Amino acid sequence: MTRTERRNLRNGLLFISPWIFGFIAFQVYPILYSLRLSFSEYSGFGVPAFTGLANFKQMFADDLFWKSAYNTLYYTALAVPIGVVVALAIAIAMNQKVREVAIYRAILYIPSILPIFALSFVWVVFLNPRYGLFNAFWHIFGLPMVDWIGNPAWTKLSIVLMAQLGAGGPALIFLAALRGIPKEILESAEIDGAGTAKKFFRITLPLITPVILYDIILGLSMGLQVFTQAYILSSGAAGTTTAGPRNSLLFYVFYLYKSAFQYTQMGYAAALSWILFLVSVLLALLIFRWSKSWVHYDIS
Amino acid sequence: MKRALLLPMLFALVLASGLAAAPTQITFWTNFTPPFSDYLQKMVDAYNASQSAVQAKLVQVPGSETDISKLMTAVRGGTGPDVYMLDRFTTAERAAAGVLTDLSPFIKKSEPKLADSYLPFAWAESQFQGKTFSLPFDTDTRALYYRADLLKAAGVDVSVLDPKNGPITIDQLKAIAAKYDKKDASGEYTQLGFVPQYNQGWHYTWGFAYGGKFADLKAGKVTPTDPGVVAGFQFLYDWSKNLGPQKVSTFLSTFNPPNVPPEQEMLVTGKVAMCVTGDWYIANMAQYAPNADYGVTYIPVPKKGDKPSTWAGGWSFCVPQGAKNAAAGFDFCKWMAGPVGQKMYVQLSSHLPTIKALMDDKSLFSGKHEFFRQTLAFASSRPALPVGGLYWDALTAAQNDVTDNVALPKDALAKVIDKVQPQLNKFLPLQ
Amino acid sequence: MEGQSVGHSRILPRIFLAVMCLVYIMPFFQMITTSLKSSTELMQIPPTVFAVHPVWKNYLDAINYIPFGRFLANSLIITAAVTVGAVLSNSLIAYGFSKIQWKGREVVFYIALATMFIPFPVTIVALFDIFAKLHWVNTFLPIIVPAFFGQAFYIFLMRQFLLGLPQELSDAAFIDGANELQIFRRIILPLMKPSIAVVAIFAGVNAWNDFLTPLLYLQNEQLYPLSIGLQFFRSEHNVAYSLLMAASTLVVLPVIVIFLCFQRFFVEGATVGSLKG
Repeated sequence: MTRTERRNLRNGLLFISPWIFGFIAFQVYPILYSLRLSFSEYSGFGVPAFTGLANFKQMFADDLFWKSAYNTLYYTALAVPIGVVVALAIAIAMNQKVREVAIYRAILYIPSILPIFALSFVWVVFLNPRYGLFNAFWHIFGLPMVDWIGNPAWTKLSIVLMAQLGAGGPALIFLAALRGIPKEILESAEIDGAGTAKKFFRITLPLITPVILYDIILGLSMGLQVFTQAYILSSGAAGTTTAGPRNSLLFYVFYLYKSAFQYTQMGYAAALSWILFLVSVLLALLIFRWSKSWVHYDIS
Repeated sequence: MKRALLLPMLFALVLASGLAAAPTQITFWTNFTPPFSDYLQKMVDAYNASQSAVQAKLVQVPGSETDISKLMTAVRGGTGPDVYMLDRFTTAERAAAGVLTDLSPFIKKSEPKLADSYLPFAWAESQFQGKTFSLPFDTDTRALYYRADLLKAAGVDVSVLDPKNGPITIDQLKAIAAKYDKKDASGEYTQLGFVPQYNQGWHYTWGFAYGGKFADLKAGKVTPTDPGVVAGFQFLYDWSKNLGPQKVSTFLSTFNPPNVPPEQEMLVTGKVAMCVTGDWYIANMAQYAPNADYGVTYIPVPKKGDKPSTWAGGWSFCVPQGAKNAAAGFDFCKWMAGPVGQKMYVQLSSHLPTIKALMDDKSLFSGKHEFFRQTLAFASSRPALPVGGLYWDALTAAQNDVTDNVALPKDALAKVIDKVQPQLNKFLPLQ
Repeated sequence: MEGQSVGHSRILPRIFLAVMCLVYIMPFFQMITTSLKSSTELMQIPPTVFAVHPVWKNYLDAINYIPFGRFLANSLIITAAVTVGAVLSNSLIAYGFSKIQWKGREVVFYIALATMFIPFPVTIVALFDIFAKLHWVNTFLPIIVPAFFGQAFYIFLMRQFLLGLPQELSDAAFIDGANELQIFRRIILPLMKPSIAVVAIFAGVNAWNDFLTPLLYLQNEQLYPLSIGLQFFRSEHNVAYSLLMAASTLVVLPVIVIFLCFQRFFVEGATVGSLKG
């Protein structure tokens, strides 16, 4: 290595040293620990008993494993693209040169910070088959009434829609990116006669592709790990109900959590988590590879 | 010589009595919220006042009956409580996982005949592999509530429902309910007489009603395909079929969505005229429908002359593993779950006791609670399995398939065996 | 000509905004109206749109139902500490992953990214073991300390931003004799304002609303934050709905206020401009 390379290596490692420390302390140990557990039978107490591939065999025969995997992938496939589009739309709305924009920005952002109980309560009222505003809206367009709450075919979509109320968060990221575009570039394009659409698609969009990629990856990780809504909606009295009608809202991580802390099958839960981890990383790598064709870094 | 010894002896005596006098501090975790946590606090205060050896501190920890992530991580990390309030039904499960301390040695030492003072079904739930892992606290039973005012208006003779006449039959239930069903112009139900799976209309409820047995503990087998259980599920299947499963589902989504506010529950608002729920609902009705004229009676039976059924849940006190003061913790449990503690709790909360002697104390029960007290005599409890939670969820999934009419009872219940039995096999033999 | 295009382009976005805001204000609006309803009014089906007789006392009751003041203080401490830690650590780390070319950087970054996909339930037990051994259970430390060591979400985000900043800026300063740390502090950091604002808002809001981590590590009611406090409104067979909504509104208000303050950071974009040559 040349002197410059050595110096850069040292500096690089110094700057990321907090992460290195945290990674080793708070992540390497838990990951390796859970890897060991995935090959064991363990209730959380006593000594884990090594059982080889038993957990994985159990997984493949477990209809709830497949169901939760399906639910999660279905949800993610819907939520990610819709999420990106909605977040971008809101960011554009938040970026308008209108005097009261600060108020609009706050309003669009607020639902993303509401405590999840409050949000689920609102969601349930919205989607009431008879009295909910949502179906009323639907009705205007002549569409038949949908039982968003009780019909297993529609429940995931209703959660995807509820999740869009929280698009204020990702929208902020896009907003920051939009704000990061140098004014000069946009102004010179205007001078050259470019209209709003052209400016957006030829200049703005390409320049924010790094952040779009970020939102996709973020959406992927959040989608695959969706948990809180199921957790809240399933806290019924006197024992649990299924997660949504006929387990249509049984998401993978929620099933994992139940296996670990309700059924005390920590080994099985660890095996579930490793499968999720491997699949997620694979999907993320695929997306990264694909992104090389459309992401533009370092505008020069 | 004696003088020289006197001083150190005196010192030792003072020291010893000083040490003996310092009370053992124990922590007690509960996930009860007000007002019930307030009742517990009163009891804790009474306990602390009644003796000086042990002083207990109540800590409210948010959580639920089934999610013990907090307890588990705390116990593992050596920071767990000395006493925990456990959903009694989960005792076998938690004991099998190694979370609980075996209380049998403590019982043997202090009160070997402790089992005799408790109601048998409650004591049974606290056992695992012949050892006692929790002390039963309160209990609750289920019954059929009916809105006499609304039924009368629909032309029903409600005297039939009076519990003095014994339980009504399923057929009678059907006839009464039909009079209350109403649809609107779009063909959706605006009210229904009865929805069997609503509120406490669980698989256990109807399985027990049809005389079903859910497990054979001796053989270490779950028995969801027991004829009684299948019959109970068939009842659910047929009821939905009769009303139209899609319409029932929409009705429930409309009027009983997740996390519905108690003010909007269906019996309170009259969207259903009858429902199976627990004794705690008396308080709900008093608070949210104080002017409603309603009654409680036995859960309907399949045929005239059948014995009535119900099942009971409730809480218990346990000492988690790794408790720093297990003996003191046990002492506290014994008091809280004992005659003095339970009497206090029953008076404060109107819940039901699990101590035999209290059950016969008529002064503790008034109004509709008196009816529930009677039901304790024939109440069943859920089988104490180390896979209790898993079994419950599998039964619930099967029940949903049946009420949606997408699976026949026998098939749905056979799947339950496939799911649960292999897990249960890991714990055999059970006794 | 100019005036015309400006006027035209003001109406369309305004309509768009108005419609979107109507949808997005709904949950908050619903929360507030529910919080003001009396128990009897809550019974109405279909639910009333406005609280007919607003019960302002619900707010007072909500504050007294739980030790609101103490929970609020705890939330503030946790949130402030986490936000500071997140901004400091992640900007440094992201800089190291983007503005310095070093051998193996991409591989290590992908490893960091991979940690974003570890499902949390499985790390709970092992992490708790670590913190228990350190005797950090029942303190704020397990919640605050990890924030000072970076988090994949924020590293990734800031890195994406930094990658979009032209290398010439740093190169010019480097030629002038500055070292990495100086370049970071004097040139790059000021340009990162929007992404710092985003990380601060995200980390802060997450800390404010997080209830799973405090639930696990805190065993003393004196230490509970507001997010846990909200859980106390739900009991076994009952939910004090209006009070829960009132409490939720109170919990959300500080965040809204802070957001309104922080959002000016977005107004100042990362204007590259004035680069000679």
